[in-house]
Amino acid sequence: MENRYLNPITAGVLLGIALFVSFIIAGQGMGASGAFARATAQGVFHFDPSIAHNAYAGKYLKHGNALSNWTVIEVVGIFLGALLSALLAKRIKPEITRAKGYPALFRLVLAFGGGFLIAIGTRLARGCTSGQALDGASAMSVGAWIFMLAAFGAGFFFAFLFKKQWKGVE
Amino acid sequence: MDLVFPLFTSGFISNEVNLFLALFIGMLFGFILERAGFATAAHIAPVFYFKNTMVPKVMVSAIVTAATLITLGVLFGYIDYNNIFIPTTYLWAYFVGGLIFGLGMVMSGWCPGTALAGIATLKIDAIFFALGLLAGMYFYFDIYDASEGLRHLANDANLGRYTIAKALGSEDIRVSYIVTLVVSFGLMAFMMIMNKIAKNKGE
Repeated sequence: MENRYLNPITAGVLLGIALFVSFIIAGQGMGASGAFARATAQGVFHFDPSIAHNAYAGKYLKHGNALSNWTVIEVVGIFLGALLSALLAKRIKPEITRAKGYPALFRLVLAFGGGFLIAIGTRLARGCTSGQALDGASAMSVGAWIFMLAAFGAGFFFAFLFKKQWKGVE
Repeated sequence: MDLVFPLFTSGFISNEVNLFLALFIGMLFGFILERAGFATAAHIAPVFYFKNTMVPKVMVSAIVTAATLITLGVLFGYIDYNNIFIPTTYLWAYFVGGLIFGLGMVMSGWCPGTALAGIATLKIDAIFFALGLLAGMYFYFDIYDASEGLRHLANDANLGRYTIAKALGSEDIRVSYIVTLVVSFGLMAFMMIMNKIAKNKGE
């Protein structure tokens, strides 16, 4: 199979059609962060059932397993779909993406730290670049743009802090 | 009964079928993300240094495409717009959440959706990002439970189902649509100009 990347506009139009299909079938667009939140709640519950009384995680657990949910199943699909595409294009290769000569350990610490912050951001904003920004903006919500402008604004503002990590990465 | 979309909310498909189809909707999303080149931080992080316009181009064309189809569907009476899910808008939570999210994005070069594609292609940094996500979720659960201040930040300034038209005092979906087009293309033009300036400076 052709292994070049899609032109960004073509990819975007296809993504928009997929989003539309999701909306007219399920009534909601694609999400991602919610599945990570649910996986955390269910995982912690396995070791410590008292999390069911937690003011936040409790709402995921009150109807039984936190993982029996539309977004969780859809997220499994995201993984499988990406895997299929990468297999066809022969793009599966272990890698730690960073600037040439940048220590791998620092890169992994920053990846973990960024994930930690993003988790908090998504709980406040009720979603991420998928479930909040793309879905909300497509459904023409004001909140999606507040979130997107704040997120990309902060990204540009703080970019100077991580210049070394990304130098020459394109 | 006339066929009204969304199929799930109008009762044309059962919960089980809806959950089953979620897998294929996700696969479609994942396949496109990987094809677009979003399974690597190398195509996401440079956006913050005005070296790459892939992210705004993909996002804007996706939003414009989906918003156009939804608007047409609603205007022709096939889609019940009230059953199109829009997350409740919490003004301050969205703003502060967005700022924290943006810092995390330039720090890690990932977001939750693209990281799934990154893990599928064995990017070690995506795996560490996902572990950070899980740890951050647990941290949030804990602090949310303990801190009334965080619960206020998260839940105050609740604007409900706040569409663009509603914010402008209208009920007409075309108002939302026109503003969406202006903002989307405006931001894309801004990003392309900034990239051009950055490129000229570099030469």
